Amino acid sequence: MSEKGGEVPEFIRTTMAELADIPNEFIRNELDEFVERDDERAELIELYSQSAPHLLEIGAAIISGRNEDSDRLTVEALQRGTGALEVMDDGLIAGMALVGIKFRENFIFVPEVLACARAMKAGMVHIEPILSASGIEPLAKVIMGTVKGDLHDIGKNLCIMMLRGAGFEVIDLGVDISADEFIDAVEQHNATLVGMSALLTTTMPNMGRTIDAFIDADVRDDVKIMVGGAPVTPEFADEMGADAYGDNAVECVEVAKRLVGVSR
Amino acid sequence: MSERIDSEAVERRRARMTRIFADIIQHAQVQCLSRCPYRDRRDLCTARFGCRNQGPVDPQHGLSSCLCDGELDYRGAWEVEDPEAVLAQWRAEADRPPPPPVDPEVQGEKTIRPGAVDCPGRQGATLFDLADDHDVRVDSSCGRMGSCHECVVEVLEGDEILTERGDGERFLADRFRLACQARVASPGAVTFAPLRRNPHVLTERPESHVDACPAVSRQGEEVFRDGEAIDQWRGRLIGLAVDVGTTTVAAELVDLETAESLCRGGFENPQRFGGSDVISRVAYDAQHDGEMHQAIIKALNNEILSMCQHAGVSRHTLYEILVVGNSTMRDLVFGLDVQTIGQRPYKSVTEHECLAGRRTGTALEAGTRQLGLVASAHGRLVSPPLVGSHVGADIAAGLLACDFDLDSGNRIFLDIGTNTEVVIGTPDRIVAASCPAGPAFEGGLVRHGLPACDGAIDTLKAIGSGFQYTTLADADPVGICGSGLVDLLAELKRTGQMTEMGVFTFGDGRAREVAVVDEPLITLSRQDASHLAQAKAASFCGQFILLRMLGIDPGKVQRVELAGGFAHSIDVRAAVSIGFLAPFDPDRVHRVGNAALEGARQLVLDTGRHDRVERLVERIEHIELETTEDFFEVFTEACQFKPMQL
Repeated sequence: MSEKGGEVPEFIRTTMAELADIPNEFIRNELDEFVERDDERAELIELYSQSAPHLLEIGAAIISGRNEDSDRLTVEALQRGTGALEVMDDGLIAGMALVGIKFRENFIFVPEVLACARAMKAGMVHIEPILSASGIEPLAKVIMGTVKGDLHDIGKNLCIMMLRGAGFEVIDLGVDISADEFIDAVEQHNATLVGMSALLTTTMPNMGRTIDAFIDADVRDDVKIMVGGAPVTPEFADEMGADAYGDNAVECVEVAKRLVGVSR
Repeated sequence: MSERIDSEAVERRRARMTRIFADIIQHAQVQCLSRCPYRDRRDLCTARFGCRNQGPVDPQHGLSSCLCDGELDYRGAWEVEDPEAVLAQWRAEADRPPPPPVDPEVQGEKTIRPGAVDCPGRQGATLFDLADDHDVRVDSSCGRMGSCHECVVEVLEGDEILTERGDGERFLADRFRLACQARVASPGAVTFAPLRRNPHVLTERPESHVDACPAVSRQGEEVFRDGEAIDQWRGRLIGLAVDVGTTTVAAELVDLETAESLCRGGFENPQRFGGSDVISRVAYDAQHDGEMHQAIIKALNNEILSMCQHAGVSRHTLYEILVVGNSTMRDLVFGLDVQTIGQRPYKSVTEHECLAGRRTGTALEAGTRQLGLVASAHGRLVSPPLVGSHVGADIAAGLLACDFDLDSGNRIFLDIGTNTEVVIGTPDRIVAASCPAGPAFEGGLVRHGLPACDGAIDTLKAIGSGFQYTTLADADPVGICGSGLVDLLAELKRTGQMTEMGVFTFGDGRAREVAVVDEPLITLSRQDASHLAQAKAASFCGQFILLRMLGIDPGKVQRVELAGGFAHSIDVRAAVSIGFLAPFDPDRVHRVGNAALEGARQLVLDTGRHDRVERLVERIEHIELETTEDFFEVFTEACQFKPMQL
């Protein structure tokens, strides 16, 4: 074999499935249009061609960021007796896998990805009670919000996407959240973890002020507080009295797991 | 719904989601360095806060357009006040002590090479973090996970303070590290440079008219190739010509119907981490199968996306990519085994297969999808044949661009680069040879040597006791590129400051280096001169041996075509005076720029020229210089800085 790139790899040739076998036109077109790598194409064709058409509809809804459809289709699938794990595999995760590839190849950008993640969450909402019924509970309840005066939400939203994917229950307070709103949410939801984000130098001190308010309200010891955002540094997090700092959304999950004691 | 669910099954799914999301986050993080995350795929702004870059509202989607050009850090448009003042105010209000002052030493910073980072190591920080601190951009597409291998940096000093190489970095040679993996482990300073993003790649080429007669054509609502419908009509037929050099890659996007040039670009060959010359790349490929191939494919994909975007055409209309390069570079693009090129008789597997009758020519063709290129799924990658041994498809294309086959006088084609190729034609014969010059004139081995980039000294004259010089882009001098080095050697020689043997005559003949620029200090050492002597000797040997073999007087050569690399800006008289070029008549020397790229352009536009190049290649005899009986004596002579005598 002198021509390494000369032939189609073995695993692709022996695969029976072809693009035409995928029982959903939208997914077929998306895959053909956006997935360039031969190995990924083969893998996804294999996955989608074996999925039930009604689950591929869920995937299609996620890929196009239609959360009402994702919500409705997931309910319908569960009602007709499809297993929760199968809905996750062939609907929710399968849809998100293609989203990830489109994003990596710069065909879509962060706002589109977040819309897709929202659609996925709309489906997951119906899966969670089924998991709870089997005794599988969320890792912890997390309150997330951007501090007072700050309207930036992308970093926080990416963190929420990661946290939910990893099995946390997240209460998203949104942007421009005052110290009182954070404290109220902790008490109302009985949360053990708070994540605060600030994207501006001007609003970063509001994190410190919020932590001070937690102390004044005597709830500081009830929760662990993690902070992040572009201007925030580990040193500043420390100076403010936060429990942990995460540099990005992946670290956010690691930090959250550490704070609630599920890893290290 | 009494489904019983196993917690481990859920755990596995959570892990899978986390992996998908983590990939997304990591890509987002890299993307955020150059593109605002609030900007959607229509380039509209999804931010709900006021941003200075917000433009008129798009009536269809109800969102503002984004006026950010992406050149500047977009975050400046959100930030409103001096960060230090804000923090100081907060500290005063909360009655907190200010943090210890920053050591001024730590903030000091000097640049020794364009794009290099020279800074104190921050314990635990990756080189990527340090690059971020200094706003130096390093490429990555895996989100710093160590898997894309795009963030290769060259550690110039301070390697010892970094962590040991991990498994993910085993593929890298000596000074090269992955910026995302190498961390500062102990106190000290480190200097490193990313692979250059915007080198002055020679994309200038001789202009010549080509009638479009491409391999693909539109027939009604379909696109045809070789009488077969391959795709639906998508509005354009685009082609790409690429010259993959050992050091730099140049590319040109063309409209296959109108022959119009849409855009040209160039970048440094990312395979540099596998060594700077062809032979080290071959050796490297033996140990790290596929790394070289992947590196060039990824870089080509980046270039295709950015060129298509720049030209405003869809990548799905890119049907034909014509790639040329020396035998090793070309075969690596196609993912072929290059080991046979590294050992005698130095032939590509395609050449061996030809000789064995298993193939009719060394031309290559492969599907874009098969190679993972982001062109049309029905596109293909084509290469013309190799001339022979190391003399590759780039020379075949370059000769075509100079109409070498249509002339019958005494003519020479010289492509000067990391590998220098010499082709000489007489009325009856065409002979070719390859001379491994190495990278000394292209920024390698020579301490203050640089490839062409902003601030490189490109011309130089000795005036009084110093030098007068010009730099590229008129930037402050940072080093010397090839044409500047040729001038420098010629001037040192002319003014008697250096002997033919490369020994400096001042300082009682014991001086080890000569200062070219005092501030910043740019020097040429004896060792530099020795590397340059060997590099120019390769070019000398090629010309000398072929001219002698054919019995041609260089002064009588009617056409000298000087192609590639720094030959474009080289001073012919200076080059002749140090024996870099044979004593040709300077008036007969034509600088043809990137002839290989022009040849590739002609071939992608006019499929009829493939036959011409096939016939031309068949006429060329390849000469192995090393087999010349007195090669060693010629080489010794060639290493001296004096005009060639035939």
